[in-house]
Amino acid sequence: MGTREILTLQFGQYSNFIGTHWWNLQEAGFTYKSDDISEINHDTLYREGVSPRREVTFTPRLLSVDLRDGLKALPEVGELYGGLQLPSTSELNWNENAVEVKKEDCDDKSQFLKDLAGASNVEEVLNKDYDFERDVTVWSDYLYSRFHPRTVNVVKQFEYGNVNTPFDVFPLGKEVWKTEQFEEDFTDKIRNYVEECDSFQGFHMLTDCTNAFAGMSSSCLEYLQDEYERKSVLVFPVIPSHFPDNDYETEKERQDSLMSDSIRLMNLALSYNAYNEFSSLFIPLCTSEKGFRQPGLKRSFHNTEYNHKLPYHSSAILASALDTFTLKHRLKTSGFNLVDLCVDLNMVGRKCASASLCFPFCINKNVDLIDCLDQWDGPLTKSITPSCEIGTDRQMQHITIRGIPESRLKGPPHNAEKQRDLPAFKCKTVSEMLTFYYQCTQYASATNVTSVQKALPVKTPFPKFFNQKLDFTGNFTNSEQLSKPESIPVLAGLHTGAEIGVMLEKLHTETRKIKFKRFNAFISGGIENDDFEECLDNIFTLRENYEDNYFL
Amino acid sequence: MAISLLNPKAEVARAAQALAVNISAAKGIQDVMKSNLGPKGTMKMLVSGAGDIKITKDGNVLLHEMQIQHPTASLIARASTAQDDMTGDGTTSTVLVIGELLKQADIYISEGLHPRILAEGFDKARAKALEVLEKIKIPVEASRESLMDVCKTSLRTKVHQKLADVLAEVCVDGILAIKQGDKPVDLHMVELMEMQHKTEADTSLVKGIVMDHGCRHPDMPKQLKNAYILTCNVSMEYEKSEVNSGFFYKTAEEREKMVTAERDFIMQRVRKVVELKKKLCDGTDKSFAVINQKGIDPMSLDMLAKEGIMALRRAKRRNMERLALACGGVAVNSLDDLNESHLGYAGLVYEHVLGENKYTFVEECKVPQSVTILMKAPNKHTLLQIRDAVRDGLRAINNAIEDKAVIPGAGAFEVAANKELLAFKDTVKGKARLGVAAYAEALLVIPKVLATNSGFDAQDTIVKLQEESRLNPDPVGVDLTSGEPVNPKDAGIFDNYIVKKQIINSCSVIASNLILVDEIMRAGMSSLKG
Repeated sequence: MGTREILTLQFGQYSNFIGTHWWNLQEAGFTYKSDDISEINHDTLYREGVSPRREVTFTPRLLSVDLRDGLKALPEVGELYGGLQLPSTSELNWNENAVEVKKEDCDDKSQFLKDLAGASNVEEVLNKDYDFERDVTVWSDYLYSRFHPRTVNVVKQFEYGNVNTPFDVFPLGKEVWKTEQFEEDFTDKIRNYVEECDSFQGFHMLTDCTNAFAGMSSSCLEYLQDEYERKSVLVFPVIPSHFPDNDYETEKERQDSLMSDSIRLMNLALSYNAYNEFSSLFIPLCTSEKGFRQPGLKRSFHNTEYNHKLPYHSSAILASALDTFTLKHRLKTSGFNLVDLCVDLNMVGRKCASASLCFPFCINKNVDLIDCLDQWDGPLTKSITPSCEIGTDRQMQHITIRGIPESRLKGPPHNAEKQRDLPAFKCKTVSEMLTFYYQCTQYASATNVTSVQKALPVKTPFPKFFNQKLDFTGNFTNSEQLSKPESIPVLAGLHTGAEIGVMLEKLHTETRKIKFKRFNAFISGGIENDDFEECLDNIFTLRENYEDNYFL
Repeated sequence: MAISLLNPKAEVARAAQALAVNISAAKGIQDVMKSNLGPKGTMKMLVSGAGDIKITKDGNVLLHEMQIQHPTASLIARASTAQDDMTGDGTTSTVLVIGELLKQADIYISEGLHPRILAEGFDKARAKALEVLEKIKIPVEASRESLMDVCKTSLRTKVHQKLADVLAEVCVDGILAIKQGDKPVDLHMVELMEMQHKTEADTSLVKGIVMDHGCRHPDMPKQLKNAYILTCNVSMEYEKSEVNSGFFYKTAEEREKMVTAERDFIMQRVRKVVELKKKLCDGTDKSFAVINQKGIDPMSLDMLAKEGIMALRRAKRRNMERLALACGGVAVNSLDDLNESHLGYAGLVYEHVLGENKYTFVEECKVPQSVTILMKAPNKHTLLQIRDAVRDGLRAINNAIEDKAVIPGAGAFEVAANKELLAFKDTVKGKARLGVAAYAEALLVIPKVLATNSGFDAQDTIVKLQEESRLNPDPVGVDLTSGEPVNPKDAGIFDNYIVKKQIINSCSVIASNLILVDEIMRAGMSSLKG
């Protein structure tokens, strides 16, 4: 099979945080040795190109959108294709006395970026430790990947932290989409990417869904549906795990925060409605439990101590999940396509699915998978879809496990001892054993398991938030380790089941409580009360698709 | 008052204070933009913290690039960029005139004149200024020379003179090529294509279409002569459909059958094209090109390449329309009943490769009613600058065609209006005449700034201009090389009628509104202020 290309779109700051980790960790997984052939087909998400200096480039097939000020030290056109030399005044062909140069303060590059720019040996930088927790304010601070000049798009009309013109409500994003920058240039960039591909299969879209980017991505989806109607679009609406305004102190701050929560919830409802209409499948992601109205408590993962207030941390977890459960349609060997994934999960109009993650997959050092599963307590994975738990029966699910080599499946036959007594001992592969595990633990579920040998690389600039007892391959040991993990095994899944209906109902109930007419910014943006009512009704109808007393 | 009862924390500025806030904002933004006006204004090079470069002296571009925090300033900025959206020019002038109107108003208001009366005067003056504009306008035919003058005047305020002349020629020829009789010109039928290559002076007009992609098959011809052009919106790529994926088909054969059937469906489409090509071209010196808005997969490309057909996939939606206008024929949505009359013709189709980018030229069309302006420059920021300039140039030409008139430039209108308004002032009863006087004075900001930017003394120039205009019934403008009065008609300096009209209207309205503001409040969540 040739490469079936995918174009990734990222809308908004948090999406870019996740995206940055995702591209970083993919590139950390590149192997340049000819004898070590990767199972993953990187051409699916990356493209090969030639810079004007005739160097071969390998850059993400990506379009990312952010606001002015969201980039800091990253130039819009990237460095790879040149063009950042300041022209001399004589080159301008203008009276030299009448040239005004306005140079903005050079934003401080993070230490990591400085080292990366000056490094003769990149390996060294990637083995160093940095204080990212303190340094990172925007996603470009830990960006290792280098982008094609097309990739970064900046919305000039809005900037972060401007209280006069916040980019906070759904219709604003739709309005920005209507400007020439997006309706002409951005769509042209999509076309340029797609034109290059021989067997383009569809889009991955990561989008913020609590601010105006929700509106922008909705408009973009509508366009994709119109122009590329037979391609699949897999949408990941993301919700940050923490909003700074939720830490209020004064009464006024509390009021403002309540107001912001309502706005975010309305954006969420409006965007879910659009995703339901125009995407092939959408999977909301958040590392906190509730997502709405407030993110709620953080979900904790074994052996990982992350700070949910840092987008740098929480986005790393979501990126790991993304990289893992999209593996199935990015493998070299499988004929499995994005459309297959979408069709498997969106049957009977179940356009919304949930995701779960086991991060890292906790397996003790020198223990076989069979024993590990035998002694496992509770569900394997933890939901990363807000306000949605993963059910235990009547699930349609795709599970991907990585980093467990077949050699660790079970003991050799002559030396298996007690393992022989376990019914799973007959399983010959990792995926077979996991399928069997799910068959035994879940009722009336269809499970499709993919196993990938390669573990998730977690070297710098990935956060170092793991338990000290993990060794460098991410296995659990009984003593504190000197070296930090370089890669970890991960298990991630995509599910659809009745629990999503419950989530949609919660969303519907919460949003119903809002008095729409009080929110002038939506109304003046062109959303009528009736539109909003219709959106809520649609969500309610979508919920019905998850009631499964009709079949089975 | 009410809001301060409800929300004691609301910040409120009243009466004189509110006016002061607005005036200082208007002055502030005027100061920033002042130096850009006219062909001798300063070029601004904006360098972002990360190193992105933007070079411009176009007011519209600048206002979009600048971060404006002040609400009044951003209101003025939005009004000015709206001016540009409507007419394509006049952004800087709008900012200057609004600023000046407020400055003049400040003088009278501080002496106790009520803003309401002043606004009344502004309105009277506006009506009179429009009368003057009608009187001074020069009817023109859409001839090459007259359009060149307008276009050059507009472009010389945005790029350096040599480039402006090149671009003006390209723009005028482009518009004239697609103009059909008295029908309004659709500017979208002029495609703008950028190539990072050579120098800006190599920017040229292509009487045909240039596309930013090429064929994706190594064996396809890179150049065709005497080519039939088929433009279509028909998918020629096999896609796994939803029914043959996933859990539906369990046996491999069943699935395979389905796939073959669907694959064959696509092949049929390609065969139709191939048949038509064979019928029309085989045995002649003609060739065949397919330009498809949808995808074409490698297998289909292969079939087409074997027949020597050049095929392009994923063409821009708007290019479908453009191609039909440039080459003739129609863009088809289905390949059934395809025949020769659907096809267009081009004398030459060829591919140009530049690094990782491919371009396809469709040239030597019979009667091209859609053309391409091919912009060239060695780097991105120059390309952007050219693109902005070309757009404005096209708008300026189009305005002149639609108005069927132009206005003498170089500040001539402002000087004439000033003279007439001062005479008109004496016929106005009551204190409103002060508003007319303020308005007359404010208009002079344009020639003043033009003179200052060219290194001449503003007062000197104004005095000379006013003297000359008293003696001479012809319009009088300022010559920016000598600082002396000049007749803009002789110098070939013309502005758009519609642009001036917009400036007069919008500036008067916005300035009146701003001086009438007597209370500014900042309260509550900003997103709630609709």
